[in-house]
Amino acid sequence: MEKTIIINIGNTIIHIEESAYELLKAYLNEVKHYFANHADDLEIVTDIENRIAELLTEQLEEQKKQVVDAGNVNSVIGLMGRVQDFDNAEATTEEEPMVHASFQAQPTDKKLYRDMDERVVAGVCAGIGHYLDFDVKWIRLAAVLTVFLGGTGVLVYALLWIIMPKATSRIEKMEMKGEPANLQGFQKNLDEELQAVRERLSEANKHAQPVFARLGNFIGEFFEWLGRFISGTGKVIFKIIAIVIVVFGVLFLLSLIVGVAAFQGFWDASIYEYFPFSIVNEGNRGVILFSAFIVCFIPVLALVLFSIRVAFSKQAINKTLSFALLIIWLAGAATVGYQAAKISSEFKQHAELTQTTELKTLPTYTIDIDKSKYFSKEDSIAYHIDANQRNQIVVDDFEDGPFVSPNNIRININKSENGVTRIVQKFESQGKTFQSALQNAQNISYNYNSKDALLIFNPRFQLRKGTIWRNQEVWINLELPVGTKLIIKHDAYRYINNYGTWDCDEKENDSDNYSTWIMTEDGLRCIAQLKEEALHKKKLKKELLDLESLRKTKPVDSLYQDSISNRVKEVKEELGINVEDNTGN
Amino acid sequence: MIAENTQTQMRKGILEYCVLSIIARGEIYASDIIAELRSAKLLVVEGTLYPLLTRLKNNGLLSYNWVESTSGPPRKYYTLTEEGKGILSQLDQTWQELAYAVGISQKGANS
Repeated sequence: MEKTIIINIGNTIIHIEESAYELLKAYLNEVKHYFANHADDLEIVTDIENRIAELLTEQLEEQKKQVVDAGNVNSVIGLMGRVQDFDNAEATTEEEPMVHASFQAQPTDKKLYRDMDERVVAGVCAGIGHYLDFDVKWIRLAAVLTVFLGGTGVLVYALLWIIMPKATSRIEKMEMKGEPANLQGFQKNLDEELQAVRERLSEANKHAQPVFARLGNFIGEFFEWLGRFISGTGKVIFKIIAIVIVVFGVLFLLSLIVGVAAFQGFWDASIYEYFPFSIVNEGNRGVILFSAFIVCFIPVLALVLFSIRVAFSKQAINKTLSFALLIIWLAGAATVGYQAAKISSEFKQHAELTQTTELKTLPTYTIDIDKSKYFSKEDSIAYHIDANQRNQIVVDDFEDGPFVSPNNIRININKSENGVTRIVQKFESQGKTFQSALQNAQNISYNYNSKDALLIFNPRFQLRKGTIWRNQEVWINLELPVGTKLIIKHDAYRYINNYGTWDCDEKENDSDNYSTWIMTEDGLRCIAQLKEEALHKKKLKKELLDLESLRKTKPVDSLYQDSISNRVKEVKEELGINVEDNTGN
Repeated sequence: MIAENTQTQMRKGILEYCVLSIIARGEIYASDIIAELRSAKLLVVEGTLYPLLTRLKNNGLLSYNWVESTSGPPRKYYTLTEEGKGILSQLDQTWQELAYAVGISQKGANS
């Protein structure tokens, strides 16, 4: 048994044993070297190869064989003759005028080519290195430095890329390196040598390429290089990104699962009393939770799977499964959309309910907030508070937690038109129909305490058990007759809706935790502010008097006179406005 | 050695003339030329013939046609050009003269 090789010799495919191939190759190399200095070496060698192919084929047919062996090759060599025999027989070679010029190029004559074998970008630096007989790395270093010197290096490089032809054939590569480009220079392999010679013939006109073709080459090569860059360096970056996405995606998915499990089973249902969850009807909670889970889970899962594919070049999921995932996601999204539409339809109608309480008319009222938390029986049990210990008060200080439902009351203070002091509680709600909206409003439970002049408001309203959040609101309208004083405690400031209570606090500038107001024809006024204004007015009046007396002295200086009259005008103007403002006092 | 050298010189001189003469008889394939030369014991190895044929062709004495072959690649069939024929007739004459010269040299002008 012996390994066979398939060779193409003289355009004939021949199976040949390895040892026979070695023999034939050696012979052909000899022949080629012998004729290398001959003007027509290519034609002669081709003729000889064709004849060898023919002889081998004939022998195979005669001997009914399929594979050429060493015996066949030897007999062919015998027929064709050894190189030494040629010398004896061929007389004319000596007389033949040798045409060396084109083949035996001067060994030192180098040409500038781009070296595609040793290239980093387009082989320009390597080519220059060969041409100048200089180590390529220094030229590359210089090239990189020119980039820092204003970037002209890039332009020069691009120009050289266009101008310099690339060395593709062996002959060009030899010319580039300054090796003698004759046939004797080819020492390696028969096929390679012939290939190079043919290329040389076919690409003889290449150097005369028009500039456009060069430019086209340049663009093509540039994009090829870019492609290699992206698929090389870029790939690594993409992979790192993909791995990061995979890690975070998996963490997200796990926390999503844990979260959903927690919602569904491990926690008590009290979470649904908190704001974003209190919107949902009790019966639909499971469905909504599940479909919302699907809607969030599947895209992240898809992202993770895709990233796995990018990072590990491995398909993590087949087509059917991904299609199924898509369908599930669509179903989930449709359910969420449907439920959202259904819930939002329950906000369609608005209803409000008012409850009016008349108060005794007193000269002064005080508004305070009851900070003690309202405890239901369930809460007392949950917080382990003994309901019998009435002297203990729990203070509700968590006013703006993340899940606090918007159930703060808002207080408007208005002027009473008919001289009656009263509190109007307005309960508002949304609902699917007016009736259900009204029902929702009725289910608001809210209380305040009035002890003579002291009005203590609960900061929050409660929804009766089983009532879902439908944008319920509670407005307290306190109507005060003109001239009534009002003390607003610090705690209540944030609930007053129609006055900037903090401003008054600053004006009063004392450590008391309240501010004093008075109802005027123009609405509620801060007493401290009024005092300040009165003081200011007094000061202005005094200044005006001073100015008038100054004017009476009739100063000679016209400039001084002007400034006095200007100031008088200013003060009068200010006083005029103040007078107009304070007509009610 | 001297004898060998002279032999080689004589063969070399005559080879080209023989090849042209063989081709003159009609279109012929290179290996058939070899066969004829071999039977004439003038040439033993085929490899020698190809450079010769190429040179003759380049000098305009020969031309060739590609002819399809039943076995292997197409073959070059050589014919003489008009120029080749002219040169052959000159060579014929030279050969006559040489043969005469050799005959005279061997047997003497009188016989």
